[in-house]
Amino acid sequence: MTKTLFLSVATLALIAGSAGAQDLKFSPGADARFDWASYEALKSMDLKGQKLTVLGPWLSADKDLVESVLAYFEVATGVDVRYSGSDSFEQQIVIDAEAGSPPDVAVFPQPGLAADLAKKGHLKPLAEGVEGWIKANYAAGDSWAAYGNYTGPDGQAHQYAFPYKADVKSLVWYVPENFEDAGYEVPQTMEDLKTLTEQIVADGGTPWCIGLGSGGATGWPATDWVEDMMLRLNTPADYDAWVQNDLKFDDPKVIAAIEDFGWFARNDAFVSGGAGAVASTDFRDSPKGLFTSPPQCYLHRQASFIPSFFPEGTVIGQDADFFYFPAYADRDLGQPVLGAGTMFAKLTDNPAADAFITFLQSPIAHEVWMAQTGFVTPYKAVNPDIYGDATLKKMGDILLNATTFRFDGSDLMPGAIGAGAFWTGMVDYAGGKDAAAVAQAIQATWDTLK
Amino acid sequence: MGGIAGTKARLVWAVNLAALMLVVLWTIPTFGLLVSSFRDRDQIAASGWWRTPFTAESTGFVRAGTAADQQPEGDLFVISGMVLAPGQTLLAWGTSARAPGAFAPGETVALKDGQALSVAADGHYRLTAPQAFTETRGMRIFLTTTTPPRLTTDNYARVIGAEGLGRAFLNTFTVTIPATVIPILIAAFAAYALAWMQFPGRALLIAAVVGLLVVPLQLALIPLLKLHNDIGLGKGYMGIWLAHTGFGLPLAIYLLRNYMVGLPREIIESARVDGATEFQIFRRIILPLSFPALASFAIFQFLWVWNDLLVATVFLGNSQAQLVMTGVLRELLGSRGGDWEILAASAFVSIAVPLLVFFAMQKYLVRGLLAGSVKGG
Repeated sequence: MTKTLFLSVATLALIAGSAGAQDLKFSPGADARFDWASYEALKSMDLKGQKLTVLGPWLSADKDLVESVLAYFEVATGVDVRYSGSDSFEQQIVIDAEAGSPPDVAVFPQPGLAADLAKKGHLKPLAEGVEGWIKANYAAGDSWAAYGNYTGPDGQAHQYAFPYKADVKSLVWYVPENFEDAGYEVPQTMEDLKTLTEQIVADGGTPWCIGLGSGGATGWPATDWVEDMMLRLNTPADYDAWVQNDLKFDDPKVIAAIEDFGWFARNDAFVSGGAGAVASTDFRDSPKGLFTSPPQCYLHRQASFIPSFFPEGTVIGQDADFFYFPAYADRDLGQPVLGAGTMFAKLTDNPAADAFITFLQSPIAHEVWMAQTGFVTPYKAVNPDIYGDATLKKMGDILLNATTFRFDGSDLMPGAIGAGAFWTGMVDYAGGKDAAAVAQAIQATWDTLK
Repeated sequence: MGGIAGTKARLVWAVNLAALMLVVLWTIPTFGLLVSSFRDRDQIAASGWWRTPFTAESTGFVRAGTAADQQPEGDLFVISGMVLAPGQTLLAWGTSARAPGAFAPGETVALKDGQALSVAADGHYRLTAPQAFTETRGMRIFLTTTTPPRLTTDNYARVIGAEGLGRAFLNTFTVTIPATVIPILIAAFAAYALAWMQFPGRALLIAAVVGLLVVPLQLALIPLLKLHNDIGLGKGYMGIWLAHTGFGLPLAIYLLRNYMVGLPREIIESARVDGATEFQIFRRIILPLSFPALASFAIFQFLWVWNDLLVATVFLGNSQAQLVMTGVLRELLGSRGGDWEILAASAFVSIAVPLLVFFAMQKYLVRGLLAGSVKGG
């Protein structure tokens, strides 16, 4: 009797185990390109029956992707992970943390908010050694580690957040066949890009599609432009000082960067619809000009997520492609890359949360998402051949080859600037206001925060 | 006399016309949304909804076949096929993005390396070359076409077929029905007491209730959730019922109290003289007489809870098992929003139940809207 009972329990366990394994997107051990050793190593953490709640900004398709990664953690350690996504993540995490019902792990889309919560004592420092690990294993690791390093309620700096999943922002999107038809080459330097811009105008075309509209966040695409220009005109140290406001917003260096953006955006001949259309065009609609015939524009500078707003059926790499937003050849600043990334932070002392951060340090956690879509990582130990398509690999290469990586500056500035005065200032500037006046107005707002 | 009557009639006409115009103006956006919900994403991006009933002229491209599709024909290699979708008419075609309408239908055009391309008016194309094709990517044939008006129900299929929508529908009902009934129960008692029972501090209490009407509920989210966590209620249905009850009570009490105060004093006093207890008066006289006000508040509260997303995300959580319908619809819009066709279809799916409720209880709403505004009404 007991024997049959044991037998049936064993069979049940087997069935349950195999069911779990079937949920995994890529069955362990099958594809030799994956780092399965790092997956097997996770099994040493036995946390069967524990629960872990994760709150993040990803919904629908993105949610399915993140859950496909979490499944590996669940099967390896036995933890029951509950991911929930919210489009108002920024508000919800504050409400949940303040009210005392935080998720175990939160996925911050920008470091500024995480730093605020760390200061109020809502985040728990990560385990010792995580900081060193990021510095050693991520390309431009010092920059990455710094974005998760905040001052805690005790006034001491700790590593509070673990960067996982990067977005590359320094990209210019174009239609290769339109380039072929017109005989244009992909520019390698900023000087070439400016020459190409003038060339397209001389040929009777319009080079750029630029749209700043984004509902309540109108103006943010221009902040990315200015940040990219900052990195191409000034040293990374100047950029860091600017983000901290040690370099004033109305400094000539910053004004020069704003005006360099204006070189592209404030010339009626350079922008589809004329300079007046820049501020009123929605950023989600602006890339569509690339795909009309004849093309309304040839170039569009936007981050790696923008293909989701391309017309249905567009194949990246064929119908549309991108190149690195190039640096000036005559300024020895290397290949700066502007980007963003999501930060995983702990809000409770749940031991499963620590295990989860350890999981994120294993190559397999990156490779599973890499092999699908919409994921690039600065992690050097992963196998770049796994990238689901050539486009992702190219983006990954941009990240790995970056001599300088800098996080989206407006996400690091105080909310009143980075999600306020900077946005509205850029709308004013695109509308024709003087760069110096705009910069002074933003600096004046910043002064009132001190 | 006749002159005055004429002015009057004209005035009536003017009022009616103005009212009609306002109604039309008011419904145009909803109508536009309804039309948009039947158009696909590219149509919405390309033209406004008012262009829907007209034939649309558009320029785009179609890829020709690749090397895998070629057939030898004599000493030529040929790729052929069809570029038009059913119903489309070809106006012009081209081979480069810069001149997408360079050639007329039926023309044959010489390309590089002895290749030639012709596109017939019926949409059949023929690409020929003296040597075998090697392309793995079909060349672009640009077409200027007219397309007849087209509507699609795909958006509705996507919304209604969305994962977890059925469950979310039930969740929304689980939230909405108690969150409508509980406040009415409490508010009816409170309103009776504030209207007809004599006790010290009554006027102050009424003033406090009116004062609570102006407190935005967003202010209370964090303290209230904190309280729920501290007393062990946490996130769940109990918590959201209480939250909705709390947020709905000030308006409910205010509305019902003003209605009940207008009921004829004589009835209540004669009931008291006849020896009825307060509860009997409430149950036998006040409740039946207040039915229009109760129904109109029920509609308000039902619609507000049905459409709510904020309170649900805070007090119920985001997990699949607890997600309300507005939450599922929001998920369909994706991480960055911008899928207008889904938004439009979602709006009409979620509107269905409130419309039913509204039409079922509409006659009470009209009476109840006047609740408390006229004495004796």
